[in-house]
Amino acid sequence: MGSRACAPVAVLAGLLGGLAGCGGDEPTEARATLSLVETLGGADTVGYARAVEPRPFVFPADHGPHPGFRSEWWYYTGNLDGPDGERFGFQFTLFRGALAPPLPDGTEADSADGWATRQVYLGHFTVTDARRGTFREAERYTRASAGLAGARADPFRVWLDDWEVRGPDTGGTPWPTTLRARDSTAAVTLRLEPVKPLVLQGDRGLSRKGPEEGNASYYYSYTRLSAAGTVEVDGEPVSVTGSAWLDREWSTSALSDGQVGWDWFALQLSDGSELMVYQLRRADGTPDPFSAGVVVGPAGEAVSLASGDVLLESTGEWASPLDGAVYPSGWRVRVPSAALDLRVTPVLADQELDVSFRYWEGAVDVEGTADGRPVSGRGYVELTGYAGAAAGRSGG
Amino acid sequence: MTLVAAASRRWAWRHPGQVALTVLGVALGVAVVVAIDLAIQSSRAAFQLSTEAVAGRATHRIDGGPSGLPESLFTRIRTDVGLRASAPVVEGWGSSEALEGTALRILGVDPFSERPFRPWLAGGGPELDVAVLLTTPDGVVLPGPLAERAGVQVGDTLVLVVEGRTRPAVVVGTVEPDDELARRGLADVVVADVGTVQGFLDRPGRLSRIELVVPDGPRGAAALAAVSAVLPPGATLSPVGTRAETLSGMLRAFDLNLTALSLLALVFGMFLIYNAMTFSVVQRRELLGSLRALGVTRGEVIRTVGGEALWTALAGTALGLGAGVVLGRGLVHLVTRTINDLYFVLTVQGLTVPASVLVKGGLLGVGATLLAAWPAVREAVQAPPRAAATRSLVEDRVRRLVPRAAGAGVALGAGGAGLLAVPSRSVLLSFVGLFGVLLGAALVTPLATVAFVRAVTPVLGRTVGILGTLAARGVSAALSRTAPAVAALVVAVSVTVGLGVMIQSFRSTVVEWLDHTLQADIYVSPPSPVSSRAEGALDPGAVERMAAVGGVAGLSTYRGTELLTDQGLLRVVALDLDPRGERAFRFLDGRAETAFARFRGDGAVLVSEPYAYRNRVGVGDTIRLSTDRGPTAFGVAGVFRDYGSERGVVMMARSTWLQVYDDDRVTSLGFFLQDDADVDSVMAELRSAAGPNQALVVRSNRALRDASLEVFDRTFAITAVLRALAFVVAFIGVLSALMALQLERGRELGVLRANGLTPGQVWGLVTTQTGVLGLVAGLLAVPTGLLLAVVMIEVVNRRSFGWTLEMEVGGGLLLQAVGLALAGALLAGLYPAWRMARTSPSLALREE
Repeated sequence: MGSRACAPVAVLAGLLGGLAGCGGDEPTEARATLSLVETLGGADTVGYARAVEPRPFVFPADHGPHPGFRSEWWYYTGNLDGPDGERFGFQFTLFRGALAPPLPDGTEADSADGWATRQVYLGHFTVTDARRGTFREAERYTRASAGLAGARADPFRVWLDDWEVRGPDTGGTPWPTTLRARDSTAAVTLRLEPVKPLVLQGDRGLSRKGPEEGNASYYYSYTRLSAAGTVEVDGEPVSVTGSAWLDREWSTSALSDGQVGWDWFALQLSDGSELMVYQLRRADGTPDPFSAGVVVGPAGEAVSLASGDVLLESTGEWASPLDGAVYPSGWRVRVPSAALDLRVTPVLADQELDVSFRYWEGAVDVEGTADGRPVSGRGYVELTGYAGAAAGRSGG
Repeated sequence: MTLVAAASRRWAWRHPGQVALTVLGVALGVAVVVAIDLAIQSSRAAFQLSTEAVAGRATHRIDGGPSGLPESLFTRIRTDVGLRASAPVVEGWGSSEALEGTALRILGVDPFSERPFRPWLAGGGPELDVAVLLTTPDGVVLPGPLAERAGVQVGDTLVLVVEGRTRPAVVVGTVEPDDELARRGLADVVVADVGTVQGFLDRPGRLSRIELVVPDGPRGAAALAAVSAVLPPGATLSPVGTRAETLSGMLRAFDLNLTALSLLALVFGMFLIYNAMTFSVVQRRELLGSLRALGVTRGEVIRTVGGEALWTALAGTALGLGAGVVLGRGLVHLVTRTINDLYFVLTVQGLTVPASVLVKGGLLGVGATLLAAWPAVREAVQAPPRAAATRSLVEDRVRRLVPRAAGAGVALGAGGAGLLAVPSRSVLLSFVGLFGVLLGAALVTPLATVAFVRAVTPVLGRTVGILGTLAARGVSAALSRTAPAVAALVVAVSVTVGLGVMIQSFRSTVVEWLDHTLQADIYVSPPSPVSSRAEGALDPGAVERMAAVGGVAGLSTYRGTELLTDQGLLRVVALDLDPRGERAFRFLDGRAETAFARFRGDGAVLVSEPYAYRNRVGVGDTIRLSTDRGPTAFGVAGVFRDYGSERGVVMMARSTWLQVYDDDRVTSLGFFLQDDADVDSVMAELRSAAGPNQALVVRSNRALRDASLEVFDRTFAITAVLRALAFVVAFIGVLSALMALQLERGRELGVLRANGLTPGQVWGLVTTQTGVLGLVAGLLAVPTGLLLAVVMIEVVNRRSFGWTLEMEVGGGLLLQAVGLALAGALLAGLYPAWRMARTSPSLALREE
């Protein structure tokens, strides 16, 4: 699932070429795409740490930033319910991107002033309101200096302006985490706490994305967090409870030539299990062999899935009103080895983020069977490489 | 073509010089008005442009005290208040040898915050790579044309000098603002990251201001309230427009002074038109009478003579507009320099020529011409339909008018004086009063002329003989021509006398003040590319080393800042005053001993005269200043004389300053030397003690005095130019009037010649007559000019700038004035005398 963050990587690459196209009122420029290609070229990895082999994870330190790697994210998604049948989805992601590798002495500042930094943070925040049928998105980015944005492990805090996830001041743990995000038309305040332990993805936390050495990330997830708090849409606050998901991943280079995009699923089922699947798409439309996934049982036991373990077919289509890009909309997901046969339906057809790098990421409903017994569930799906075909192709 | 029109054209054809002079008069008058207007408008436009372009789309801004704002305030606005449309700005001034010392605005911004403000700085342009800007130490971005002028490309080093310290910067990109406004407004701006500029200015952790974009309505109000709640004391939140208005409002009195002077030129121009038009009609009285006898209607005459006036107006105005633009180009630099010297930093890229100025100038030119020509048109119509020379009738009428004009003049002058006596502070009112006095004097001139001629006729008769009497009588006989000429000359010369005396008084006051104020032996400040006032700060290490130099007996330190108040920028100064420097203050209110005791011990302040005048405060009053502790009250311990800032200066002891402002920098130093110390060698030692990285302006007492006077002279350069222009217009008027007068008398002189007058005697007659006119004008101009000087010193200057000047009248200046009038008049007689002397009597006797 490391690939899910490629869109933001592209956005950060866009930042490198200039901060064009932000705010959604201007199309992403070709320049950003060029920078993306340059950024993802081999030379650019010089000076950065690489994810080459499994490493021991140390907490709480690994909840904090890893500035030696080029990019990193804290990726929260979840489904929430209000007292009167309101149904919400939210995505809150803070991406860290390096403008340049750390200096030889390991520091990040090119000069002594409080503004110098080589780190930039990007935030995406969306709220899906099923009852109103609205999808709200916001994007921000800023420098990781002067206290404007940053991340630290203990006490845990990752922030960008007034958007933040924050842990308790003491105790050396990020939990319970308070998540706060607010934009002009939507706001979310949630208290998050794990219901199940964290899962190391891939090979003991090393998630390989391509055949090349180092095209991999370090990756762990909390697949089920309890969530409680408030969602506000158009100034109307609603108390909510629900379930959320956190992905943590950092890498320097993850992509390979020929990968054009991916479909990613994070589904929480009513039987207490979770399924995560990502399928990388190649230029010719076929799934990339480095696609993978995991099934997490009710007790937290994780079983990795390889490319051939998952059968994914789309059952519908949705055309973006922004540029006419056609996305799949509705799927049948089968994992024979786990006896799963699921139909996945978007809560809203239009959950496309019109931000620096367009992609679709939205709340979904799940119906189907596990081991022959009916299950339901909810989750989040991310689709990239459909909009802005050129950018998607080169960005992969 | 009608008969009368043909005659008109023929006349113009035969008198090209006269037509040319009339057109020239209109043109000069219009040109001066347009030029001044353009210069003012251009400096205003430049001000607008630079504020707007640099302010971008900000709606509000937060400003701090002399040390600016803590950058943590910005962090709070982002992370606590959550106002995303906010941008930190650090701003200073610098220069570069690569740009020949042009003042460069050094703008420190956070590119990530710039999209709502200055989108062209938010990246996205082909040449600006934000990542490189952020990760290149001392990286800067230049507007494309500036980079071209500096001859630098991306990757090159541009050596900047900021507050005297050399700051090599790396050019990491260029920006091309996509709108014209920004492109022009940012022509001399060097952009860098916030932190980089903090380093250049040696202001770690401080911001010059924070800009905000806040929507109208309740949401905006809520955002502003939330921001206000986190402001530290001393920080102010204000709409961007208000601030710019306050700043440009500071220029109002300055602009008004210039406009008044330019209108004077137009008035002279009007006189010229009046004279030329009337003359052209008078010359054709008989012709017009004959035409009327032949059946030409009054309407036709009006149309023709009016048409002549209109054509003159159009041609002169067109010429004047063109000349005004050319002249304006020169004046705009003078105006800008003065604004820089006196008010604030302003860089003007070029002359802005708004259509409105041209339309205004055009209407004024045509309108004034037609107005001035109206009496001539009336006279043409009144020419009776018979061929009779009725010149004497006109003169009779004029003679009867003389006492009435004088009466009106006295009334007008009294009215003007009354207006001046009104205890108002309106500068406009003082100019209206001034014009009243001036016009009153002009109207009294004919009576004075008659009286003068009556008095000198016997004298001339005795000394020069019959020709002298003839010359003198000629003056009063042709009063319709001579009176306006003398009046114009009186006005022109008295204005030059008035302005001259005012400038002289001002200068001698300033010289005396400088001699008194500059008490230290050596003055040290960082070089400032933008102003004669010391800005910026000295390296503290350098200050310490300089204080320890041998031969130094004492040291005064000085730290100045400009605070924005409701009335514009106010200079607030922290002074660590060596007791030897106390003599520098001359108190208008308050005794020195008590003033200094309160200044040092009680945290009281000393205020300059203009400040006291503007704010109506005196010793014992309390003033409130915005400080880093919030609005703070200070007692006024003394009011001292000062000509350094017309906005006023507030001085406080450095110890007081340090209590209310978080700013311990020093802007400049005054060194008192031991008696046996050698100034030059101590200056050299100070330079070397400062070190190679701190560029200094080290000046001796004498050098600073000279430099200050240089600024003073620069400030008055534009006044001097206007004074000269006004005089040129008036001179041309007098020239044409007297010339016309003499040419008109061609027949009379012809008779005299036929009766045996030699060419030399004709010469003598003409020059004696114009000489008498010049002398009258010169003598009348002296008291009028002195009166004007008194008004300008006591009323206009005080109301405009708030200071008191010691009037000083140099005898040379007055002699010069009389000489000027005399010379002008004699010069005007040269051509007619030469022509008359050359013409054969028979030819002269032949009528046209």
